[in-house]
Amino acid sequence: MTERPASGATGQIRFEGREVSLHEGDTIASALFRAGVRTFSRSLKLHRRRGIYCGTGECPNCLVTVDDVPGSRSCITPALDGMTVRREGGWPSTERDALHVADRLHGLMPVGFLYKTFIHPRSAWPLAERVIRRATGLGPLPGGPADRRVARHLRTDVLVVGAGIAGLSAALEAAAGGRRVVLCEERAIGDGIAPGSTLERIRRLEARARTEPSIEILERHAALGLYEGPVVPLASDRALVQVHPGRLVLATGARERHAVFPGSDLPGVWLGRAAAAMSGLHGVPIGERVVVVATTAEGIEHIRTLARADGSIVAVVSPSMAGELDGDVETIVDARVLEARGRSRVREVVVRSGENSRTIACDALVLSLGTVPRDELARMAIDERVDVVGDAAGDRRCDANDADGIVCLCEDVSTRDLGRAWDEGFRSAEILKRYTTATMGPCQGAMCGLALECFARSMGAAGAAGSHRTTARPPLRPVALETLAASVHEIVDKRTGLHDAHLAAGARLDRSGGWLRPFGYGDRLEEYRAVRERVGLMDVGTLGKFLIAGRDATRLVDRVFATRVDDLRPGRSRYVIALDEGGYVVDDGLLCALGDGAFYLTSTTGGAERMDARLREWTDRFGLHVHLLDRTSELGAVLVAGPLARELLERVTSDRIDGGAIPYPGHGEVIVDSVPCRAVRSGFVGELAFELHHPRSRGPALWESLMRAGASFDIRPHGLDALETLRLEKGHVYLGQDSLPDDTPAKLGLGHAVAMGKPWFVGKSALERLSALPATRRLAGLAFDRAPNDVAELRGAPLMTDGDVVGRVTSAERSPVLDRAIGLGWIREDAASRAPDLRAGPAVARVVPTPFYDPEGSRVRA
Amino acid sequence: MSLLIPCPQCGRRPSREFAFGGEDRPVDAPDLEADFGRVFLPANLEGPQRERWFHALGCRRWFTITRDTVTNRIS
Repeated sequence: MTERPASGATGQIRFEGREVSLHEGDTIASALFRAGVRTFSRSLKLHRRRGIYCGTGECPNCLVTVDDVPGSRSCITPALDGMTVRREGGWPSTERDALHVADRLHGLMPVGFLYKTFIHPRSAWPLAERVIRRATGLGPLPGGPADRRVARHLRTDVLVVGAGIAGLSAALEAAAGGRRVVLCEERAIGDGIAPGSTLERIRRLEARARTEPSIEILERHAALGLYEGPVVPLASDRALVQVHPGRLVLATGARERHAVFPGSDLPGVWLGRAAAAMSGLHGVPIGERVVVVATTAEGIEHIRTLARADGSIVAVVSPSMAGELDGDVETIVDARVLEARGRSRVREVVVRSGENSRTIACDALVLSLGTVPRDELARMAIDERVDVVGDAAGDRRCDANDADGIVCLCEDVSTRDLGRAWDEGFRSAEILKRYTTATMGPCQGAMCGLALECFARSMGAAGAAGSHRTTARPPLRPVALETLAASVHEIVDKRTGLHDAHLAAGARLDRSGGWLRPFGYGDRLEEYRAVRERVGLMDVGTLGKFLIAGRDATRLVDRVFATRVDDLRPGRSRYVIALDEGGYVVDDGLLCALGDGAFYLTSTTGGAERMDARLREWTDRFGLHVHLLDRTSELGAVLVAGPLARELLERVTSDRIDGGAIPYPGHGEVIVDSVPCRAVRSGFVGELAFELHHPRSRGPALWESLMRAGASFDIRPHGLDALETLRLEKGHVYLGQDSLPDDTPAKLGLGHAVAMGKPWFVGKSALERLSALPATRRLAGLAFDRAPNDVAELRGAPLMTDGDVVGRVTSAERSPVLDRAIGLGWIREDAASRAPDLRAGPAVARVVPTPFYDPEGSRVRA
Repeated sequence: MSLLIPCPQCGRRPSREFAFGGEDRPVDAPDLEADFGRVFLPANLEGPQRERWFHALGCRRWFTITRDTVTNRIS
């Protein structure tokens, strides 16, 4: 249906298939409310109806999707002509939600429900996950790339956050003192405040601030957090502004107290400011018969505002406010609300005064119960000096309240859920939060934070330093990822010393492990053949390269690596693996003994920084005397590999490089065409191979010299693509690609690299216990039949037998030398022996021993 | 959050330059049983705790500080 634009309309928004006309100053919420919308969303877990509640952008109730952006706060978003708005949550729609049945099943979904349910049978999880994802969550994310946002930095003498009375006053005072001031406000100044004395004061101060040249006013800029410096990032629709103030004044004000009693989350239950704005500012009455609970002067002001437009009002006021209202308003003194009742919205409320309870029929209940300081930014200032002014510096107090009701609107956590979690042993605010997820929703505890704190306090929770508050963390407001990404100007890619040589050779470069590396030079198969049949070159300068010296060098590597190292003689090298403290393989490398107890260590490209951190950590932990030099960026390295590798090198060096001088696995110093190199024998590609580690600046000369000398062998450079085939034929494991985070050495077939006889190494105590457990899975070699032409289809494919998933393919390549598709993959230990044939996508896989190529390793040792 | 970590070499620097290294627990355990406790049975204190930090985006030094896990204050 389409409504004609009403008189005075300033435009229209499209809302779920109909047009809703706009009035001057409308927010999306006020426009929808005027058009009769009462249910604004469905709650996350129980699918309860939710209506406008706080009206100030704090609670999750009015989140809608605006022009494909989900989670937009309709109560503070100005409605603009042409916007498209739809509600979130509920199936098939927010208005008629079949999943509302969840509310009646609440008893079956106790706190911690997701942690305890859907664990068995495992096979049911994928389906359960789909259902849960459909049933919960906010709107879908928009597709396609986001608009680019602007990032800028702003330096100023004073930043004032919040442009209410306190913030405007502080800004004017600082400006009068000759300071440059930035004044930021989440909305426009004065927005959302019903006409009255407060708004008049704000307008007067605003007029002065706008004419003050040293005050820069940033409206619709929300402060996201407070960081060291201090730095306060502000987010607007289009920009991320990082403000670096000399002084920081927080005038963030206070929010209204959230009430918890049965039915307190029904549509038609309003906090005072939301009700006053709807009626007094937007001119839309909130009900025919309105019950208002007011305990403060602000509440009395709200009653006066509502009395002008709304129907009859029943005021429930505290004794000190009893004389404030004139005779037109029916007044009940010193009572409290026990319950709000109704199905789709509030229909009646139960109030108790002394011993008497009475039920009042109504269509709106307004709660004005005082405020709670909005002090999250102030609490993020651990080391920074900040000045907190105005209501933000007010008190927090707990009311005695044992009523059951929804505490956390975002996550549907009730008082009873908190009690249950307490009984299960979660007995401090922080862990109640983690277990129940209260305070973890879109509002980040703006509504329920106080209730959780008061619950923990009333139960006598163990809170260190008397704290029952959860930690305040950024971001304070929902923020789009593209806004956060606005400050990322560029991605820094490291380049090796041979970068220009690769470009000249027509290499296809891409990112890998933080570097720009050649993936190929045009003919992958020919690059591969050069290594297997003749000789090839590869830039491996990205490898982590470390010099470890000092009198405790051996002691360090002995403890950091699970592999035996104390017997490694100078001139020899060894493949070593590093475990984490959980006994899982995290890194590997090649350790070369240099003499004088020093070592040269190479690590994987991606693991270089981790390796450096690990070596430093254990040096410091044990107080060892070690000199550690990270030579990763200072040295280049070229892999010379293939059956003719030695012949090639003999043309460019006069040093001995025969198997006696540099055996496998070993290393030695050689001068290659005047470039000093450490030649390290390598087994990774499965051929006779030398890594030539050299000063980075000499890389181009070395590369050029090798290419020239190898021309008659038809030498070729090869990239990471050819390397993938070469290493897979040898069954070598890429940690991270073929391994999982919880892989012990045995599961990866690396048991030979562990010396359990050592008294201690990182991960040993865990590994001892783990090795007592039965093996569950292992990494196995796979040979495929009926493989698709594009073996990429096999990577990541589940391994199936009799309809069961028993493993997964981690690597797959077509092996030219074996003329078949091969791979590595996980397989359950019981299935490895039981099932001769496994299904992997369209192919059939067999478990076979590795290496696939040259199992004796005679070519590497040549 | 506005958390400054005191690096013994670089002074107080923003926490995002650092990597957290867990509770500081003695590594000279008498046997593997005790070492297992060091790894898997953290004290998980609520209050001041000795802990390890790594100046990953700075001088790359490891050090130990005492931080209150409730207030984040470093003494």
